[in-house]
Amino acid sequence: MKGITKCFGAVTALDSVDLDVAAGGIHAVVGENGAGKTTLMRVLYGALHADEGSLELDGKPVRFGSSREAIQAGVGMVSQHYGIIPALTCLQNLILGAEGGTILNIKAAAQRAEALAKRMGFQFDWNSDASTLSPAGAQKLEILKLLWREARIMILDEPTAMLSPADASALFESLDRLAADGATIILVTHRLPEVLEHCNRVTILRGGKRIDEKAVADTTGSELAQLIVGGALDKPTTHRQISDGKTALQITDLSVKGSRGDLALKGIGVSVRSGEILGIAGVDGSGQRELFHAIAGLVKPTEGNITLDGVDFAGLSAADRIEQGVRVIAEDRHEEGVVEEWSLDENAALGLQRLSPFAKGGTVDSTARHAMAQKIAERFSTKHGGLNLPMASLSGGNQQRFVAARALCLAPKLLLAFQPARGLDLKGTQQVYDGIRAACAEGAAALVVSFDLDELLEQCDRLVAMNGGKLLEPLDGQSKDRDAIGRLMVGAH
Amino acid sequence: MIWRVIALVTGALAILAGALLVAHESPIVAVQTLIHGSLGSPAAIAGTLRETTPLLIAGLAVFIALRAGLFNIGVEGQLIMGAVACTFVALRIPNALGMILGLIVGMIAGALWALPAGLIKAYRNGHEVITTIMLNNVALYLTSALVSGPMKDKTSQDTATPTVDAATRMPWVYNHPPVQANCALILGVVVAIGLALWLKKTVAGYELQAVGANPTAAKFAGISTQRVTLMAMLVSGAIGGLAGAVQVLAYEGRFYSGFSPGYGFDALGVALLAGTNAFAVLPASLLFGILSKGGTALQVDGVPKGITTVVLGFLILIAAVIRYRKVNTVA
Repeated sequence: MKGITKCFGAVTALDSVDLDVAAGGIHAVVGENGAGKTTLMRVLYGALHADEGSLELDGKPVRFGSSREAIQAGVGMVSQHYGIIPALTCLQNLILGAEGGTILNIKAAAQRAEALAKRMGFQFDWNSDASTLSPAGAQKLEILKLLWREARIMILDEPTAMLSPADASALFESLDRLAADGATIILVTHRLPEVLEHCNRVTILRGGKRIDEKAVADTTGSELAQLIVGGALDKPTTHRQISDGKTALQITDLSVKGSRGDLALKGIGVSVRSGEILGIAGVDGSGQRELFHAIAGLVKPTEGNITLDGVDFAGLSAADRIEQGVRVIAEDRHEEGVVEEWSLDENAALGLQRLSPFAKGGTVDSTARHAMAQKIAERFSTKHGGLNLPMASLSGGNQQRFVAARALCLAPKLLLAFQPARGLDLKGTQQVYDGIRAACAEGAAALVVSFDLDELLEQCDRLVAMNGGKLLEPLDGQSKDRDAIGRLMVGAH
Repeated sequence: MIWRVIALVTGALAILAGALLVAHESPIVAVQTLIHGSLGSPAAIAGTLRETTPLLIAGLAVFIALRAGLFNIGVEGQLIMGAVACTFVALRIPNALGMILGLIVGMIAGALWALPAGLIKAYRNGHEVITTIMLNNVALYLTSALVSGPMKDKTSQDTATPTVDAATRMPWVYNHPPVQANCALILGVVVAIGLALWLKKTVAGYELQAVGANPTAAKFAGISTQRVTLMAMLVSGAIGGLAGAVQVLAYEGRFYSGFSPGYGFDALGVALLAGTNAFAVLPASLLFGILSKGGTALQVDGVPKGITTVVLGFLILIAAVIRYRKVNTVA
């Protein structure tokens, strides 16, 4: 790709960017949110048209009018937001749009699917609905979709953002294998360890410009980090003294039914002190989601008690709990955190709509709401084109900044943060966790779920692990011991 | 984008002109007849406004349900139930009291007719389109039975109720026939303004629209989506009932078999054309009123009235193309 330039209105997303990717191997593209990584990839994939610049594939100039043409040329992309249709089976999703004929040959398709999955070391129940897939499963299915279409150049946008460490390393094993087989993989990521361990070359973007391209063997993590942010990073202020605050959140013997009728939480007990950030480690689907939903009042527990600052939550609606100071940074910001077609202004009040200053009596105070929206957008420097534009006009990372800042804006008492730094770059991650720490310094308690154990170890005061619906606390003195937590995550003591 | 709209409009006009030519009518004469028949004289304008009134109020009923994410096809049924209940009261209680009670009872009847659909949607997730269509049929045949039997005017050949006393009817704001305007239209405008303000200014209105736009996010925001769904259905039904009651008290004076020529269904088009803004229901219903009244004039000229429905269909399509465009990421 040579001299790619793309503008959205007055915003220049890409400014004459070059990208050379050698055949075979894994090429990383790194940069902050809004650096232009995803835009560049979408140009390559034919989903966007560049204003200027040219594209060459195997030495021949090409022009992709649409992603269909890109696929035909062997270029495929897995985006941050999966294109899986929940109501179809895994197999139907796999072959959708590339059925290979007018008449379906399900048997042959299933055989070929199984062969592909085997080659990658994946396991699928092909006839079950895609809605039953975990995020990791969905990610794997997306990769298989590219292989099904015989893509030679595969673009992966933040593939590990939703994966547990074990799933992520399994994914990279398969990617390494694909690369060894001659596939070309372009990896968009925020996680530098992934770049250093698995990639051959790396291109750094900043502010829509190509800053540098390096062989991974010739660089270091700190050099990359500096190139990405364009200056030295502040050292995180993690090790701090938490005062012996009183118990804020107390959960005893909590059981919750899961979506399939079995117990998703099995008699959980945990307490969090005011001022404390408790990290919950564990692979996806261990019951973290149900725990958050039970605390927020979205599901009714079958058993057990939840109290916050001595107030019993039994019988309190979700709205009552918000009034008590419970705030959620939801797992899936698109579905759970925002209304995409609403303006930033309107979204600023979502979840806080009954609280002052957003509401005055039963009426909306739009002046106050506008002022708050401004504050929320400024807090973690959300890049936007105007508070009156729809939420859908923001990139994923900027939406996350907005949603995180909103949860922190009205003196929360209990913060339930599900991957609060999802899709954020290093600086954004640090800002959000600093924000959570600031709220805790004011007396809040925080529960943080992440599938990135290193992130939790770095950012939280104390860690527990969840496995199979149980919550496991490490022994005294081991609450930040990587190995001890790692063992608990897989259910071993 | 703009080219696509222009292409659509041109295409729609070409198809219409073609259809008229095939029917051996001059398109220009047809348009003249339509405009003359709906806006060409004081009497025509009065007739257009009369047609507009039920379309406006019923359109608002569909509109408020749409804002909550509900497709209330049952406004037709709610409208005729409101009309019949209102007639029942207005025949028994005279004067202004009877009129006001009639309107209120009409709203209650409409709301009650929407209640089963609301309950089934909110608590059993049964689709409101199915349930309201079924309730429409029940309402249609139930009211037909009522005006053939217990509520029938025994002195008349018609399957209709007796006529409501003039003192109980809604007053004219201007009454020099053929130029007439009933205060029912003003009531409709007031309801539109009230709904627009309610949606924009109140927390409840905000929550209703959140449920309509993203029910999952609404749940996370502490909103009881079940309660909001039920309430929205009841309010929609009440406004639908009001449309029927107003039609009785302002214009018809009685209820009869075949009372509504499909106002509740035309209201779907009105609300879809209006989109997200309650004020837009005003011009949308006026447009439907013009085409409805003008269509009658066309019919006199031998052009099928259905041609105006074709125009409306194209208009709704064009509005949809303009509205549902992709949002580009800017940051």
